[in-house]
Amino acid sequence: MRIAEILTADRVSLGHTFSSKKKALEELAGLLAKGVDPNAAGDILGSLASREKLGSTGLGHGVAIPHGRLAGVEDSIGAFMRLKHPLDYEAHDSRPVDLLFGLLVPQGATEAHLKHLAAIAEMFSDENFCQAARAATDDAALYKLVADYKPAG
Amino acid sequence: MDFDTSSGLILLAALLFLVSILATVITPRLGIPLLFVFLVVGMLAGEDGPGRIQFHNYALANLAATAALAVVLFDGGLRTHLHSFRTGLRPALSLATVGVLVTAGITAAFCTWLLGLSPAEGFLIGSIVASTDAAAVFSLLGAGGTALNERVASALEIESGTNDPMAIFLTLATIAYLQAPDSFGIVDALRMLAWQMIAGGACGLAGGWLLMRALNRLRLGDAMYPLLALFGGLTIFGVTALIDGSGFLAVYLAGIFLGNRSLRAAASIRRFHDGIAWMAQIGMFVILGLLASPHQLVDVIVPGLLISAVLILVARPTAVVLALLPFRFPWREQLYISWVGLRGSVPIVLATYPWLAGLENAQLFFNVAFFIVLVSLLIQGTTVAPVAEWLGLRVPNRAVRVHRVDIDLPGQRGYEVVSYRVPPDSKLIGMRPKSLPIPDVSRVICIARNGKLLHYREWGNLQAYDYVSLLAAQAQLDVLDRVFESISAPDEPVSRRFFGEFTIDGDAAVDVLCESYGLPLPPNAAQMTVSQLMLKHLPHPVVGDRLRLGDIQLVIKTVDGDRATKIGLRLPS
Repeated sequence: MRIAEILTADRVSLGHTFSSKKKALEELAGLLAKGVDPNAAGDILGSLASREKLGSTGLGHGVAIPHGRLAGVEDSIGAFMRLKHPLDYEAHDSRPVDLLFGLLVPQGATEAHLKHLAAIAEMFSDENFCQAARAATDDAALYKLVADYKPAG
Repeated sequence: MDFDTSSGLILLAALLFLVSILATVITPRLGIPLLFVFLVVGMLAGEDGPGRIQFHNYALANLAATAALAVVLFDGGLRTHLHSFRTGLRPALSLATVGVLVTAGITAAFCTWLLGLSPAEGFLIGSIVASTDAAAVFSLLGAGGTALNERVASALEIESGTNDPMAIFLTLATIAYLQAPDSFGIVDALRMLAWQMIAGGACGLAGGWLLMRALNRLRLGDAMYPLLALFGGLTIFGVTALIDGSGFLAVYLAGIFLGNRSLRAAASIRRFHDGIAWMAQIGMFVILGLLASPHQLVDVIVPGLLISAVLILVARPTAVVLALLPFRFPWREQLYISWVGLRGSVPIVLATYPWLAGLENAQLFFNVAFFIVLVSLLIQGTTVAPVAEWLGLRVPNRAVRVHRVDIDLPGQRGYEVVSYRVPPDSKLIGMRPKSLPIPDVSRVICIARNGKLLHYREWGNLQAYDYVSLLAAQAQLDVLDRVFESISAPDEPVSRRFFGEFTIDGDAAVDVLCESYGLPLPPNAAQMTVSQLMLKHLPHPVVGDRLRLGDIQLVIKTVDGDRATKIGLRLPS
């Protein structure tokens, strides 16, 4: 599976600043909704927020992968944001987060969809990738980075 | 050379120790238990080796090894933390009683049949080889980046401290029966057992308390505190044994008692006993190796191998499964505990008892027991680490890279001066010493950089390889260790693969978890938190325990008592 298959260029954003985790999730839900149905943003936010209640999806090193399920979605849908100012995300290493990748999977999520989530986490554990993502100059460059990403080894 | 003179004997002893000490440099790389090497040093020096020393003094060997064993058990007790009792105590006691009896029984039945002995003589061999030695296991697992999970580690550790008294009792009772089969019956044996354990337990705790009072009250020279502890421990052993209690149990309990109280000179007592326990181990194994007659072992190769096979593959596993029945250990852990039932010095020491009692087949008992220990050390000893790996029982350990030196604070108790080296990948680098997240009572007293002690105005920000010395309460050393442990980058992939990509809180609701990932809700779990769910399946959860939920695995990352506080989420990959 390539992560490019779940991300489109219009669901990448760069340079926003948010005052809270909740605001950032709202924006991310909006981006994800572009891939489903513009009216679904509220449901998506609900799903993401409910997952955050279990514990932060911050992985450490400034990366978070909020994720949730949504009825009516056929396949995994991703959205990628890079923030201008790192945001406190209650990550377990207490470091503020500036890279957020949202993932939405179908209501009847299968093992394959969970593997998408694992693959995204794997991608963000690659330090070279994170460095490049932080250095990307615009939306298109950030999208290209993910679209061209190949797991090392 | 004439070894009969005093100087000759001193030279001989010194050389044997020197060779053994130097051997400790090489053997860890070979993965062989040190104990095996010490035994071999003794055998090489002995009658059939190049040393050609004729040594057949069973009484002297028994005396030396008994004293050494008492010292080793005392030191083991000093090192046993009470918190390991949470998961380890009851399983270990079951292993040390039921387990030892079953091991001895099965081995005995086989020996009786194979060697054509009387049932009592067979049972004597079974009893002699029934106790285990965990020290070898822990030294072989080493201080790498991983450790055994707490449940297995503490069960093995406490078992090996407490099963010696049981094996010794069984041996003594069987010898008493063999010497007077008409007058010594099962009732006498039970009475003997009860008295050994009661007297041993009472003397151990009372002696430990008295010794603690003495250490904390008496004004002595600094060098005297460790000696007071050592000879206090040996006194407890001697007094208990004199009134026919179990001296080994007493000295082990006294060690645990002292090790878990605030004690004057605790750091120097610990350091001293570390050295003395090593000396005792080396001395004991070398002298037992000297005592053996390797050419006679040739005669017992076939029966020895067969008995070892039954002990390792049948008796121990059966004993472990039966003894752990009430505790619901995962099967991998039972398998591992079965495999690492390493036989150490105790069987060889016990094998000298039939000699002292003048039993008919004493030589046979000794040779068989000696051979079994060799086989166990070689086969099980060399595989404890790979088997732990294979069974997936190693947990990434985050607290192993602390480099700490302790010094006593004179005139006080409960406080120590500790010194830490700041590792190059520490998260503390760049922090001001004053803003270190350390507990209230502790404070930084000096910082050394590049070999120079800095004036406190020059402290600045912490740098890699700085030595930070702190005044600290003993009770807070664990917290300090955690502050100064490194967060090292290379370990992260290992940790992520083990604990999973995401972390959730123990207080998270199970139904929300299942809803988030489309997982089947376990029966009756709708109102539970994730930590309650774990507790339902694992009575005493430890770091590294896993629970499968649909396609994902929950892996415990941190615990507070029996409550899992942070849980890793492992996704399928």
